[in-house]
Amino acid sequence: MKLYNLLRDRLRALLGRETVIHDIDREMRLHIDLQTDANIAAGMSPEDARQEALRSFGNVNKIRDTAYDVRGGGLIETLAQDIRYGVRVLVKHKAFTAVAVLTLGLGIGANTAIFSVVNELLLRPLPYRDAATIVTVWEVSPRGRHQNTTSPSNFRSWLEQNTSFQSLAAFFDMRTNLTGDFEPEELSVQIVTPPFFQTLGVDPILGRTFDPGDDEADKPSVTVLSYGLWQRRFGGQSDIVGKEIKLNGLPVVVIGVMPPNFQFYIQQRSGTGRPAELWSVLHLGKLGDYGRFLGGVARLKPGVSPENAAAEMRTIAARRAADDPQHNLNFSAEVLPLREQFYGTVRRPLWLLLGAVGFVLLIACANVASLLLSLATSREKEIALRAALGARRSRIIRQLLTESLLLAGVGSVLGLGFAWLGIKGLIMISPRDLVNLHSVGLNMPVMLWTLLIALITGVLFGLTPALHITRLNLNDSLKEGGKGEGGQTSNRRIRSVFVVSEIALAVVLLAGAGLLVKSFLNLQQIDRGFNTDNVLTMVVRLPDSKYSQDPQIISFFRQALEQTRALPGVRSAGIVNYLPFYGGLGSATGFKVLGRPAPPPGQDPTTNVRVADNGYFQALGIPVLRGRNFSQTEDTEPKRVVLINDAFARKYFPGEDPIGKRVDVAMFDQPTPTEIIGVVGNVRYESLIDDFEPYVYFAHPDLTYSFMTLVIRTDGDPAALAPAVQREIRTLDPNQPVSDVRTMNQVMSETVSRARFNTLLLTLFAALATLLSAVGIFGVMNYSVALRTREIGLRLAIGAQPHQVLLLILKQGLSLTVIGVVLGLAAAFALTRLLSGLLFGVAAVDAGTFAMMSLLLILVSIAACYLPARRAMKIDPLQALRYE
Amino acid sequence: MAQHKADLLQGTLDMLILKALSHGELHGYGIIQRIRQLSDEMLHVEQGSLYPALYRIEQKGWVSSKWDVHETGRDAKFYKLTRSGRKQLGVEEASWDRLVLAVNKLRQAT
Repeated sequence: MKLYNLLRDRLRALLGRETVIHDIDREMRLHIDLQTDANIAAGMSPEDARQEALRSFGNVNKIRDTAYDVRGGGLIETLAQDIRYGVRVLVKHKAFTAVAVLTLGLGIGANTAIFSVVNELLLRPLPYRDAATIVTVWEVSPRGRHQNTTSPSNFRSWLEQNTSFQSLAAFFDMRTNLTGDFEPEELSVQIVTPPFFQTLGVDPILGRTFDPGDDEADKPSVTVLSYGLWQRRFGGQSDIVGKEIKLNGLPVVVIGVMPPNFQFYIQQRSGTGRPAELWSVLHLGKLGDYGRFLGGVARLKPGVSPENAAAEMRTIAARRAADDPQHNLNFSAEVLPLREQFYGTVRRPLWLLLGAVGFVLLIACANVASLLLSLATSREKEIALRAALGARRSRIIRQLLTESLLLAGVGSVLGLGFAWLGIKGLIMISPRDLVNLHSVGLNMPVMLWTLLIALITGVLFGLTPALHITRLNLNDSLKEGGKGEGGQTSNRRIRSVFVVSEIALAVVLLAGAGLLVKSFLNLQQIDRGFNTDNVLTMVVRLPDSKYSQDPQIISFFRQALEQTRALPGVRSAGIVNYLPFYGGLGSATGFKVLGRPAPPPGQDPTTNVRVADNGYFQALGIPVLRGRNFSQTEDTEPKRVVLINDAFARKYFPGEDPIGKRVDVAMFDQPTPTEIIGVVGNVRYESLIDDFEPYVYFAHPDLTYSFMTLVIRTDGDPAALAPAVQREIRTLDPNQPVSDVRTMNQVMSETVSRARFNTLLLTLFAALATLLSAVGIFGVMNYSVALRTREIGLRLAIGAQPHQVLLLILKQGLSLTVIGVVLGLAAAFALTRLLSGLLFGVAAVDAGTFAMMSLLLILVSIAACYLPARRAMKIDPLQALRYE
Repeated sequence: MAQHKADLLQGTLDMLILKALSHGELHGYGIIQRIRQLSDEMLHVEQGSLYPALYRIEQKGWVSSKWDVHETGRDAKFYKLTRSGRKQLGVEEASWDRLVLAVNKLRQAT
């Protein structure tokens, strides 16, 4: 109790007990002095006068204490007393305390962990100045595709015509090769117009960002580095500003370094699939008019809402469509607040997860409340005694509440530990596009949240038992042998209500988790159109400065593939410009079918475009359905031939044989007719769930890209082959970097990472809920068996068979479970609709899933009832009867 | 002296303290003396029980207190009636009058 005394003294000093006492003493001393004086004046001797004064004053110590209590000191004293007493109770009931603290720790920990993510992504201000006034600006395509990139000519008219924005900048991501005296490396660069950084309102930590004149033609090329790149590649040199580095073989001057957390990464519209490591100037004046690849970011003028701005942008888009229907017909525009842009799609799942952990916490509370009730039964006498000695009901309730808050406090400390672990786990399994998750942690708002829920839970689970116990007829409890039967029965009834609620909550969570799991399995089983096993991929980007001619590029990749195919363990190898699900955008454009009448302007049919070679289809196992694959010659020389996919053939050549037909795909400056030589199977590139879209494949010599992804099918573990392939690339060009070395299974796993994240978490919470409910029902049944010992003993004594007793107890547990399941299902019908946007291939109300989850819970609760039931079965009738 | 002393009804102490203070600020000892004087030595408040009562009244906001120098040169805590204390005194006196009236009627009824 040393610790406690220390604590009490601290508290007193803190709250000024000494000053209060001193104040009272001074006052009383004066009183006695004055009385003494009066007595002396009345003729007493000084000693007698003092004695008489003290006597007439009364018991000084007692009066001081009473006075101190009145002065508010008593409250602290009682609190300290309550805490001391509470600690003693909890220490005495170690098993109870351990179970309660663990239960609360799990509930509070899960809550804290999820809240930390919610706080980081949905509540905390974004890391830009006045982020609420920053918006992104996009087009909406005629096919209704949102956040569509825009063309330079359209962006120019946005700049000229808008009145909503203080500043407006364009950006797009691409890749670049950094070379120098070190290993060459491919980086993601964000190409931005000069107002970009001012628009976001973020200052560099070194040097400057882009100035308005930096995009003029005669200015030298300049770049701003990310903090990460500066540290990693340039050792954080403080004199980096003004130095020259080589990007794609060309000299560029570093003018600034951004702070560590600066990023403007819009994954779903990124051309690189990863955050930028440096920024270069976008020369809007040098760009052609067409081709859609620009995103817009703007800061609203004061008083302009995103909706106002959106309305204006739609007007401008309509004007563009009228002026240039060929390129802009039916294109609209949209404006998104930044938080919507970054976290619009995670908001709902996150709130749902927070709701789910809220359920888990409620179940934990119900469990602890139930435990407290059973503890209270064993303390009935003690509480009755206190009441008999004059403790008021409110005083006893306060004592009991102090105990539960104490439990909640210890539980939340443990919970913070769990949360810390949980956050680590969350970061580990977090989807790639939740980049900011890495800064999630146990910060101040999260701690406050924990404190808040600890308080709420403490009162929540403490109040019912406290109110209940103090309402019992305490005289009964005091009487020798009196068992307070009525109290115990109503106690059992309350605990049954707890168990039923727990089961109902668990059913809701299980139903939700079941739906997500089913949906996730559906997602996994979707036919992607290719075989993902044993495939290695890596990106090779040839610098323009060194490989300026198409034939150089074509021959580099031909050679690289030849050498790769020669490696042992390689079955086939090919190239493609944009790998399925690589994490960013591919290209798409309009085309004409030769020999067909031209459609009205702006209504050309459209298709996605990919560049590949013969080996790509082999390596990914994409079947050639009709016609033939690219030939060896077509892979080395431009022969003006294309392959189309099945969706293309069905959509644009229904009932016709497309082989031999000629199409002019708008990927070239000049009309360039190409001949369809084959139809290949459909492949999913960007979405697992949308319908198959038309694709046209050019051979690499016909449409040469300087960056291509190597796709290699191996005999064994594909990852093991990566070093060998990289070595082959280096023998061709020692300065040539390779990036994004991934197996196709890794690529796919990242694709479904968000669905997996949601599914995994909700499943985890549902499992936790089920476990806690099982503990709850076990506790209640155990208690019930203990209460019914005499009755069961009697039954056995008059001839009941043990298995009948077993059934009796199981039936009791089962009936509670069934009530809970029915209530839970009703709630699930209402609540799982919230999941609808997250589900694939399964309805929000899925009878099969609901039935399965109910059954699961019933089985779990039977298992939880089994131990108490067995105990009941083993009751010795003689002993049971004699004991009473 | 005991035979001259009237017993204090519970709850009247507050009224007496307020009444004593209604003539000006006093310290604790002074309050007791004032009650004695005003009641012609008939009422003797138990000295020690004054202080808890005073603190309770102060918490209710009926009196305020401050430390000051006593005429004897010693420090003393002086109490003063507040506005709400004066109102409370009125309330308590009225209810006291009603009680006295009722008790007297009861006694005369025999």
